Amino acid sequence: MAVCLLASFVFIAGADARTVIDQTGRSVNIPDCPARVVALAPSITEIIYALGRQDILKGVTQFSDYPPDAMRLPRVGSYVHLDIERIVALKPDLCIAIKDGNPKQVIDRLEELGIPVYATFPTDLATTMEAIERLGVILNAPKAAEDLIYGMKQRIARIKAIVKAAPARPSVFFQIGLFPIVAAGSGTFINELITLAGGKNIAEKKGRYVSFSQEELIKLSPDIVIITTMARHGAFDKAEEQWKRWPNIQAVKNGRIYLIDSNLVDRPTPRLIDGLERLARLIHPELFTADAAGKKQL
Amino acid sequence: MKPASPSSLILRICLISMLLTVMLVCAWIAGISVGSSDWSLKEIIRTITFARNPDHALYSIIWDIRLPRVIMAALLGASLSAGGLVFQALLRNPLAEPYILGISGGAAIGAILGIMAGLAPFPGVSLTAFTGSAASLLLILLMASGSTILKNESLLLSGVMINAFCSAIIMFLITITHDSRLHSIMFWLMGDLSMVSMKQVGVLAAMVIPCFLLLFRYTNTMNLIVLGKDMAHTMGVNIRAATFILLAVTSFMISATVSQCGLLGFVGLVIPHFFRLIIGSDHRLLLPACLLGGATYLVLCDLLARAVPAQGELPVGVITAMIGAPLFVYLLKRSAR
Repeated sequence: MAVCLLASFVFIAGADARTVIDQTGRSVNIPDCPARVVALAPSITEIIYALGRQDILKGVTQFSDYPPDAMRLPRVGSYVHLDIERIVALKPDLCIAIKDGNPKQVIDRLEELGIPVYATFPTDLATTMEAIERLGVILNAPKAAEDLIYGMKQRIARIKAIVKAAPARPSVFFQIGLFPIVAAGSGTFINELITLAGGKNIAEKKGRYVSFSQEELIKLSPDIVIITTMARHGAFDKAEEQWKRWPNIQAVKNGRIYLIDSNLVDRPTPRLIDGLERLARLIHPELFTADAAGKKQL
Repeated sequence: MKPASPSSLILRICLISMLLTVMLVCAWIAGISVGSSDWSLKEIIRTITFARNPDHALYSIIWDIRLPRVIMAALLGASLSAGGLVFQALLRNPLAEPYILGISGGAAIGAILGIMAGLAPFPGVSLTAFTGSAASLLLILLMASGSTILKNESLLLSGVMINAFCSAIIMFLITITHDSRLHSIMFWLMGDLSMVSMKQVGVLAAMVIPCFLLLFRYTNTMNLIVLGKDMAHTMGVNIRAATFILLAVTSFMISATVSQCGLLGFVGLVIPHFFRLIIGSDHRLLLPACLLGGATYLVLCDLLARAVPAQGELPVGVITAMIGAPLFVYLLKRSAR
């Protein structure tokens, strides 16, 4: 804030903008003190709230449901099908996009209309933290970003220390699609989180989003099945029923079919760490009893 | 066709064109006034009439977002309905239409391959779409060659088969695409006008307006072709050359439209039929009527697509198909009688 005030004293007319390189390597001319920001994806909304800059957030996308306060902000379409007209009507001085999701032509169109777009490109935990740091800089909340990242790193280190004690790495099947059966593979946040949480993703070596046949699953026989809430409206029960038809699969035999909130594992936000902690507890419940490692319960 | 004196024909052409132009302009104004962001009519009128100090955002919304969109819709409607008119004349079949014949499907496969390869919309995707439409046109002509082309059933069946084949390939391409390009392909397939810029409008105009002008030269020929090959021969028309030129021009026009804005079905069926009912079968009258009427029709369909849903908007292709498909069934039943 102080920087903003200073900047407005130093550069009085017209010069209150700076050129920065965004996370995708594009050069963008953004205002020194963005005052009207539109977040083009739910994850961006979450990060802006986490940075405490919701005062300048003027528009969000359809599924921006966290924190609940974000639900009252104007919507500008969904992140894959943005409504340019609504964005322009909000008179933003900066839009923040995410490369893996927002269509390139929308970004180009917004820039044509004179609205600068800063694009983030988080692909794993490290680049998510980088995105948070970068947004902290351009939204003038560098200290908040630093604190956030420090907290995230601490919590990751703690989980790492706890799961190190695990005797084995159970195999995990992380189901993100029901019909057809689709699992999260390599290059996804889910894969990284499973690995950090001390599990072994059985879809790891097969690409990003992998379809499986029932035969393959019976053969692979994962120790744990985790299903995301991406499949809503009672779909979890249906999926669980499907699995129970194959009692020879380890996870079914041992009753280890779990549900997890998809927003904790596929949105590049600080909440990925919540997802990590939850996964670690699902995969290694034995390490998280009240007195395990002398830590308080997660 | 009633023999008409040249001057009365010109008078009729002028009258119809003027009437339809007025309707098109009205549709444009309506199209510019409606959108997903709420503004009062007063503010919109102020901006359209160049009042001083317009709201900057509204100015941008009207001139940079809505205006390109309504012009694009007009160009697309005009070329799709003119395309339908030409196919119906050439194949002497009232049910011929680029979408039904599978030509749009071929263009779609080409365009999707272009999108997947990461080509630019122009000239990359336009070229692959053109190749696709030319290939399916060739297939249709081969399958329905000779005298069987006159029969509704064989032509429609060829179209149905080509469409089935095209949609199988499209489904296949969709299943092997997993990233954000999938969404662009899906919206593109349904016919989406929400992202149109003035540059795109310019590119499409440069491609289709020369085609429109060329078609005007052949309106007499189309009349003769409809009357039959022998008739055309006695009038000294080179059927082969004319057919070839008309086919090439029309498929170029259709693939240019498809590559820009995806699949918009049945426009080429609805509009020519509507005008044939009202003004008869003289192509000298029908062509301008179809161009202007098709333009108006699609601008209005696009308006509906934006105005109907409370959240977001419908792809305009959904609207054209919802209106067009039942009409097609009705026409098929009527022609069977």
